[in-house]
Amino acid sequence: MSFLKLISTFFIFFSISLQARDYIIVQSTTSTANTGLLDILSERFFIQTGIEVRAVAVGTGTAIANAKKGDGDILIVHSKLDELNFIEEGFGVERFDLMYNDFIIVGPKNDPANISNKKDIADVMKQLASSKYKFISRDDNSGTHKKELLLWKTAGLQVPKDNSYLKTGSSMANAINVAVEMQAYLLTDRGTWISFKNKNNLKILFEKNESLFNPYGVIAINPKKFPHVEYQKSKKFINWLLKGEGKQLISNYKVDNQQLFFTYN
Amino acid sequence: MPETSKIIEAIIISLHVSFIATLFAFSLSIFFGYLIATRQFFAKKYIVSILGSLTSIPPVCAGLIVYLIISRQGPLGWMQLLYTPTAMIIAQFIIIFPIMTTLIINYIEQEYPQVKEELISYGASQKDIVMLMIINQKSIYLTIVLIGFGRAISEYGAAAIVGGSIDHITRNMTAMIALETAKGNILVGVTLGATLIILSLLMSFGINYFRKND
Repeated sequence: MSFLKLISTFFIFFSISLQARDYIIVQSTTSTANTGLLDILSERFFIQTGIEVRAVAVGTGTAIANAKKGDGDILIVHSKLDELNFIEEGFGVERFDLMYNDFIIVGPKNDPANISNKKDIADVMKQLASSKYKFISRDDNSGTHKKELLLWKTAGLQVPKDNSYLKTGSSMANAINVAVEMQAYLLTDRGTWISFKNKNNLKILFEKNESLFNPYGVIAINPKKFPHVEYQKSKKFINWLLKGEGKQLISNYKVDNQQLFFTYN
Repeated sequence: MPETSKIIEAIIISLHVSFIATLFAFSLSIFFGYLIATRQFFAKKYIVSILGSLTSIPPVCAGLIVYLIISRQGPLGWMQLLYTPTAMIIAQFIIIFPIMTTLIINYIEQEYPQVKEELISYGASQKDIVMLMIINQKSIYLTIVLIGFGRAISEYGAAAIVGGSIDHITRNMTAMIALETAKGNILVGVTLGATLIILSLLMSFGINYFRKND
């Protein structure tokens, strides 16, 4: 019986010691995490303010879903429509433009679908819809996936259903891995692409089109809806990101000498 | 390529989480294993079967179960355990407790009848008998601890789901392997994988050393 007492003391001790929360939880995307940006921001903010930032990289859709259940203090995602809905439904306080970069379409070096000399995104999508060329989709409700679906739609196409359209259900970096392996086409954000270390034979084949703009928003989760959120600490972090050293860190962040994310003025 | 300090951090987190999970699992598995093995009761067969089948619970399932319980909407959401090392410990505990208990039950059922006769004649209480069994047959229990620890430290899925793979805090070895491999830093995956293998080799050698001296 004394065994049981010992064990239960351990567990009680654990739970008591956890009551105070001196960290904030950021629900975010894999593109911000895989580039290493979130880690840098968390570290610097902690050094400056003593507030720990725990950033979870789960993908836009999951991040929003988690935030709606109260599993976080801040949302950083890239799907403006969903973000605005989030605010409208009362889950978030306010949406701010945090940073932006763009999407690119990568594919095998020899570009069998011949998209690199196309000017119109709709023509590019029409080529990629063909079953002759493999296309990788993240299929995970992420910001990138939502953008991909939007691109099919605006080109007037149905989302492909044949075997050349492969759905990975995974993070951006993982999807790039698959695209490399299968020598397939893929929509990716430039940030993850630049910081990805195993590009192999893939290159950027279509870019710098206005439909490929990729804006990120930051939202504090509404303390009125979830009283347990650390709203004051969240506000501090958001201000630091928008107007403080965080903003500089974001625009100074380079991988391979290239800037990955751009801030607004 | 992440700095060496990050890799070492991941190793330390893995060791910390899995060690504590194994400690808890071992204590509880001796306690329950002893209770179950030395008594006859109505549900005994069912409990032993359930424990047996839980030994191969997929890590992601264990992670999912814990996640459902400790996320905000879950019954223990108020404890704020999500994305903490404690959550990882709980998830790994669930994975290794069944197999450790099953092994201990098997061992005790073999040994206890013989040992009991002899020791009760010396006036030993039940607790004394268990303690003596542990002390005398260290290597068996060490093996069980190592099996548990090995399974805990090499699992991926449970700790990742409930821990969130957060830099410096809940990103253990297996989570880092997954992240860096996804980023294309295959070398880190290989390094950490090799570390895991070396770790288990060292532990095996340690066990065999003890066994020789028993």
